[in-house]
Amino acid sequence: MEVLLPHSLEEALAIKGERPEATPIAGGTDLMVDLNFGRLRPAAMIDLSRVAELASWQQEDGHVFLGAGLTYATIVKEMPEFKPLVQASRSVGSPQIRNRGTVGGNLGTASPAGDALPVLAAYDADVVLRSRARGERSLAWHAFLTGPKKTAIAPDELIIGTRWRRLRGPGSFSKIGTRNAMVISVAGLCLVVDEENGAVKVALGSVGPTILRATEAEQQIAAAMTSSGAWQDSSITITEQVIDEFGSLVAAAAKPLDDVRGTAAYRRHGCRVLARRALIWALNERRLPAWL
Amino acid sequence: MRQPADELSIVGKSLIKPDAFSKVSGQTKFADDLALPRMIYGRILRSPHPHARILRVDTSRARAHPGVLAVLTGDDLPIKFGILPVSQDEEALAKEKVRYVGDPIAAVAATDEWIADEALDLIDVQFQELPPVMSIEQAIAGAGEPIHGTSNVHKTVALEFGDTDEALRAAAHVREDAVFFEGSTHLPMEQHAAVAQVAADGKLTLWTSSQTPHYVHRALGKVLEMPMSRIRVIATPNGGGFGGKSDIFAHELVAAKLALVTGRPVKITLTREEVFYAHRGRHPVLMKVKTGFRKDGRITAMQFQSFLDGGGYGSYGVASTYYTGALQATTYAIPRYRFEAVRFFTNKPPCGPKRGHGTPQPRFALETHLDKVAEELGIDPVELRRRNLPKPDSRTVNWLRITSIGLEECINKVVEGSGFLKRRTSMPAGRGLGFAVSCYLSGAGTAIYWNEMPHSEVQLKLDRNGGVSLLCGAIDIGQGSDHILAAIVAEVLGVSLEDIQLTTADTDLTPIDLGSYSSRVTFMAGNAAKAAAEKVRDRLFEVAAKALQCDPDELIARDHRVVRRNRPADGMDFAQAVQLAEAQDGLVTGTGSYTPPKLAGPYKGSGVGPSPAYSYSAAVVEVDCDSRTGEVRVPEVWIAHDIGRAINPMLVIGQVEGSVYMALGEALMEEQSFRLGLHKFPSLLEYKSPTALETPIMHTYLVETIDREGPFGAKEAGQGPLLPVIPAVANAIYNALGVRIDEVPITPDKVLKAMNDRSKRVGPKSVPAFDFPPLINADVPDEWKGK
Repeated sequence: MEVLLPHSLEEALAIKGERPEATPIAGGTDLMVDLNFGRLRPAAMIDLSRVAELASWQQEDGHVFLGAGLTYATIVKEMPEFKPLVQASRSVGSPQIRNRGTVGGNLGTASPAGDALPVLAAYDADVVLRSRARGERSLAWHAFLTGPKKTAIAPDELIIGTRWRRLRGPGSFSKIGTRNAMVISVAGLCLVVDEENGAVKVALGSVGPTILRATEAEQQIAAAMTSSGAWQDSSITITEQVIDEFGSLVAAAAKPLDDVRGTAAYRRHGCRVLARRALIWALNERRLPAWL
Repeated sequence: MRQPADELSIVGKSLIKPDAFSKVSGQTKFADDLALPRMIYGRILRSPHPHARILRVDTSRARAHPGVLAVLTGDDLPIKFGILPVSQDEEALAKEKVRYVGDPIAAVAATDEWIADEALDLIDVQFQELPPVMSIEQAIAGAGEPIHGTSNVHKTVALEFGDTDEALRAAAHVREDAVFFEGSTHLPMEQHAAVAQVAADGKLTLWTSSQTPHYVHRALGKVLEMPMSRIRVIATPNGGGFGGKSDIFAHELVAAKLALVTGRPVKITLTREEVFYAHRGRHPVLMKVKTGFRKDGRITAMQFQSFLDGGGYGSYGVASTYYTGALQATTYAIPRYRFEAVRFFTNKPPCGPKRGHGTPQPRFALETHLDKVAEELGIDPVELRRRNLPKPDSRTVNWLRITSIGLEECINKVVEGSGFLKRRTSMPAGRGLGFAVSCYLSGAGTAIYWNEMPHSEVQLKLDRNGGVSLLCGAIDIGQGSDHILAAIVAEVLGVSLEDIQLTTADTDLTPIDLGSYSSRVTFMAGNAAKAAAEKVRDRLFEVAAKALQCDPDELIARDHRVVRRNRPADGMDFAQAVQLAEAQDGLVTGTGSYTPPKLAGPYKGSGVGPSPAYSYSAAVVEVDCDSRTGEVRVPEVWIAHDIGRAINPMLVIGQVEGSVYMALGEALMEEQSFRLGLHKFPSLLEYKSPTALETPIMHTYLVETIDREGPFGAKEAGQGPLLPVIPAVANAIYNALGVRIDEVPITPDKVLKAMNDRSKRVGPKSVPAFDFPPLINADVPDEWKGK
């Protein structure tokens, strides 16, 4: 196998243009497993770990851009104000894996169990792709993630990063797994509140062929908060019945399967539990005084 | 002569074990670290089918592959073997039939591992698939071709000690429970590896990560048809054993054969996936327990049934089968006892011994059963145990001889330490406390192959400078046996640990030790080491006494000196005493041997269960359950262990904590389970075992009973403390949520299912119908007659 070692983004794009069959590798936390099990035998790999341009993040015009090569460890260290993303990053693998693994890798693998993906879906993030021949394009996350381990990336493109409009409001990422570390989740959920637009966004991981948004649940809770006046007055209580209904709608949005990690029934149930909890956390957080 | 504890200078101290620095600094050479000049690599082709007839094996393409030096098939190693003399049912490479996915079929030696792997793909095997037997139920149903011989029943046991039916009829209270314990694997950090080399004169040496080099030595002699004197087996330090390296494995025989065929050193290291298929781990066992009680909670009789899912071969299975019924009566005074068991062949990797060998499953059954009985009788679960404790220096109804028992003190420690009795009735929502006790052997009282010889032997050679060479067949598998041997000898001779030079587990150099299994090394090799050291010490005292003009009985050995007990200034250096002895009649050596007392009872099958001493444990486990997700966390564990005497308390605590950790994995997540004949998750990624994050706060209490037969009074530590933890978790979940999960592992979906079910229980409803053979009515010891 050939391993190609670009030192800049330009060089990487040039190589990808010439060798579209070459598999890009960053942290290798998914690919090395596949190589180890003999499930993957690419003729060539492009090691992106030396491409410094990919390993940064910045904010401009109320948007956040997160480079594909940013590791989970860096996110945990440098991006504390993005709590759901930090929570998801902290739940990835072990310290060693978080030191290597990147968000770009999560996107490239496009596994429904990628922990960062529900967060990007809840943020309504775009995925930024670039090729040397055609330049840059952005795809909405759902247009990019087309199926289980399937994406809309063109053979000559690389994932540059992901971009989203910065939201104001509480949120969380939570997941269920057999143990507290080095676990592929049985169900994962990200809930974020968009205070400016009066919206609640809920994305699910590991419970369908790809990342899912629970749109009916989102609309139900947003409407309930509107009718009760909770958007304006966070002290207004959301009834238990509304929370239950929200949980049921999120569970209904899941499309789980039985596999070695869990049964479909348990996964659906897990979505309901995570949804209720995430909503209650968010509602409680809205009630906290601003100075806290 | 037993020395009082205050006179001991090494035994009883938490000293750093001799291999600690090389282990933590990565200098220890494990089998896979060995590299010999001109070494080549072996790989094994394994069956992709759980049950199939081999019609044809064509190796011609593999042989022609550049870099391949040899290819072996079943025809090259036709002699069958097995760890137990009664189960010689394995072939190094299967000839006619494969019996589990992973069963070895052919082997390749090549100049590197990748070429060997490529060559495996070039071996053409034609199979005729047979319907696989994947469960106890399917094995009983018996459809399709039996896995071995004419039936899938491998072993049955039916024993009765006294009339249990009559005693149950007369009991004030009778309860029956059925439970299931799923299999799990050892998961050692180190994968199995072996390196074989043939010297110019044809002598074979095998380095192998084995817990039982002596048995490997015997099997190599048999299968290779070579005299054992022409074979040398060296056990390398084990990166974790837990029972998983105590069998004879195909790769050991194949590496040896490939070395003989090619004349070059050959290394075979199993992949992690192969380790899952090599297995020999915990048997899945379905059990039924029925017990009668008096009104006051005392047991009148017990009937116990075990159904073992054995996998494709015998392995240790006959012993495992007996062990599922052996230690009920050493933990509780049971006046009448019936034990019926059956082990089936199934098309899964063979099961064998894993930490606690055959006893964690019945322990789970028994301790959850007693927890339920306690509630029905209105007696607290601790008191129910207290009312049924056996007496020290007694014999059980099934003839097991008990010496010391520290169980009551263990119970007191954990009950007081955890505040069990007060706290369990006032736990916050989702929190619960569970209690259980257990018993384990300090070494099997009978050898694996019948013989009258010692089970452990130690040889000492003293140097003129005061150094001591210690030779023993025991292999340190991480439990610290090297330290124990050195500490015992250093203690007796009054020298320091650094003065002891260890040579272990090398069949050319070291005398026999049967192996690091059944928690036997401290007790048996320790006793042999003590006997050897006392022999050379007595020799030194003899010559020193003459020089000092005193009686040898007046002398003691301490701080590198041989001195008069009451006039310590009157003495000589230890090295001086050695020189005197050597000048008088040559090289100073001494040997010690340990043969356990003959303890087997007067019935067939009485060879499994007897031990020169039993250890006891008690545990309280606290759980924190999420009633919505069914997740169970274990924040805290209190565990007490009757160790007899802790030769090194730090090592004992390490063994106890390791046992708790392993038990929690089995209790909550680990399972060796299969789909369509394939292991569901033969990788560290998906076979879930706990990490440091799941490991609870542990309070370990060591109870010392100074057993009269153990070295310095010591008993075992490596396996017993695992046993009470698993049922204590289940009992704690009941305390927390009011649900009974009578099935291990206790996964979140089972907890939820029980909470949503009217029965508030998940577990087998009963055991299948099975015709056990007629009961053998064994005589009961005099002390139980008429009781």
